[in-house]
Amino acid sequence: MSVINSENIAKQVRKDIVELTYKAGTHGTHISGSLSAVEVLSVLYNDILRLNKDNLTDENRDRFILSKGHAGMALYAVMNRVGILSDEELATFKDNGSAFHTHPKMNVPKGIEFSTGSLGHGLSLGVGSAIALKKRNNSTSRVFVMLGDGECDEGAVWEAAMSAAHFKLDNLIVIIDQNQLQLDGKIVDIMDQGSLADKWKSFGWKVYEMDGHNVADIHQTMTEGLKKMTGPTVFMAHTLKGKGISFIEGKYNWHIGVLTQEQYEQAKKELEEV
Amino acid sequence: MEIDRQKIRMYSLLGSHRTFGQVALELPKINEKVVVMVADQMSPAGLEYFRDQQPDKFINIGIAEQNLIGVAAGLAKEGMTPFVVAQASFATGRCFDQIKINMAYMHLGVKVVGLSAGLSIGQYGATHMSVEDVALMRCLPDIVILSPADCTETAKALMATAEDPRPTYIRLSGWMNCPIVYKKDYDYQIGKAITFKEGNDIAIIATGPMVYNSIKAAEMLEEEGLSVKVVDMHTIKPLDTMAIDDCLSAKLVVTAEEHSVIGGLGSAVAEYLAPKAIKPPHLIIGTNDRYVNAGEYSYLQEQFGLTPIQLKNQILTNLK
Amino acid sequence: MTNLEKYNQVMCDSLQVSAEQLPGLKYQDVELWDSVGHMTLVANLEDAFDILMETDDIIDFSSYEKGKEILAKYDIDFSK
Repeated sequence: MSVINSENIAKQVRKDIVELTYKAGTHGTHISGSLSAVEVLSVLYNDILRLNKDNLTDENRDRFILSKGHAGMALYAVMNRVGILSDEELATFKDNGSAFHTHPKMNVPKGIEFSTGSLGHGLSLGVGSAIALKKRNNSTSRVFVMLGDGECDEGAVWEAAMSAAHFKLDNLIVIIDQNQLQLDGKIVDIMDQGSLADKWKSFGWKVYEMDGHNVADIHQTMTEGLKKMTGPTVFMAHTLKGKGISFIEGKYNWHIGVLTQEQYEQAKKELEEV
Repeated sequence: MEIDRQKIRMYSLLGSHRTFGQVALELPKINEKVVVMVADQMSPAGLEYFRDQQPDKFINIGIAEQNLIGVAAGLAKEGMTPFVVAQASFATGRCFDQIKINMAYMHLGVKVVGLSAGLSIGQYGATHMSVEDVALMRCLPDIVILSPADCTETAKALMATAEDPRPTYIRLSGWMNCPIVYKKDYDYQIGKAITFKEGNDIAIIATGPMVYNSIKAAEMLEEEGLSVKVVDMHTIKPLDTMAIDDCLSAKLVVTAEEHSVIGGLGSAVAEYLAPKAIKPPHLIIGTNDRYVNAGEYSYLQEQFGLTPIQLKNQILTNLK
Repeated sequence: MTNLEKYNQVMCDSLQVSAEQLPGLKYQDVELWDSVGHMTLVANLEDAFDILMETDDIIDFSSYEKGKEILAKYDIDFSK
């Protein structure tokens, strides 16, 4: 049941992303990196994260940190679909002075734990949060951090990764939106990371791989993996940047994208047919 | 904790870095949420005692300043008051983005303790001279910047900031056997400068190790018939502008810091004075926008014109 | 109290050792003579003899015997 729900949410969120991008006009949005994160975020918010929508500051909540902050649009759309953000709030996306702009701004009553947007910061914040929870003997809450693969170029990510293993943080989970592209091109061409999974493993993390656009696979892999945590754990979500819209899929120069009227109509049509 | 004469002398012998290690033991008594994090700087800061006595409040993050600030921010978000310790240059420079976002933008109450700021460990070369840290921190909104004049004031500043919720940078300068400015316990408030001595002709607004040097320079200037005021501007941000107003009738305002003339205390005072139509001339003394080769602390102070006699001479020259 | 007795007393009190342990006692021989204990010791000696020691002397002061040599530079006569 929850898998179907997550699938429906994902479908809706893709449409929302198209609407929000068209509304942003010539400013454009980070459309492709948002599209690649849709299924993972949907499963997280619909199924995995323990959140009380009526009290998002509950001490026993799971903490979620969108370290790849430029996918904020996807986050807001998912939060709207699960009832955390209202339609009115979502509609203010990218308005001047809006609380809900490109990169998430810390808004704890709304469940946005930290301001992100400068890549490479989120995992350290997650490590600190996880350590604090352990010190308080809070063995209920977990800390989830979503990173991009390009983001893993940042040294700060590896400082945090190393420390997470050192401190044996079995309450810390990373999901990598591994869409294989960064701003200037393919990751293998710009800064080849070799096997990213092996790197996390060598840093002492338990590594799982999953199809980042298959809700059932995400649901199953994460549910099982979370049951067995003995240390920090990373779920590598294999994704396609721009997933769902044919003229954006796999194209690195859609990191920030503007939709013309024609493209908007085309995108809507493609998403209806799904 | 009251600071008696014996503690004052002991702290001055230890130097500000190891004074921190001693005072740290008191901080959880002031604020039970205090935790201490180091980037592999436990030994320089004399924190072995803290680690041994309060192991659950001590975290060594290794040589990783970006992670240091990020993890501290996570702890602060979850209600703790982290004091994070690294060499001043690295504590502010390597992790500037994390300080900007976590402390200035998100206002998370992390206390960054910069060890050996200024020239005190310049024997290790320019990589270990920290004369740009105040400039970096000043341009970030809402970060309190403390620059204690001696080890007594170091203890006062640390204890005061432990119960202050604001994100803060504390610049620990000077070295072992640090000259004592405050010979007995006194009333210290963040943001309230201390007029060490009054005077009418010249007003020296100093910070850190330059407070003592300014006091000595003032003595020499007074032998030449001048009346010199010395102000300890221990809080560089927020600046005590009332204390600067009290200097406006002087013939010359001097600022003195073991920091670049660009962006530090001198600049902060100049920014405040700039729009005033009537103000005295302002001489900014600090390190003059260059690096020099490695050497002992006293040699380096001399290279940059920061010794008491050099302060006196610069002031006299400027008066003419 | 003679200067020597004063010196011995400060050493014993600061380092929590007995007079018998003093001859040959060196920095880091006992737990309390670590880097911080050293400064407490110096501060106590300065207080007792009303002197202020130079940094080089503080660093050089590495043993009970060396301490006597160094204090002599500050006009402390151990024959009195």
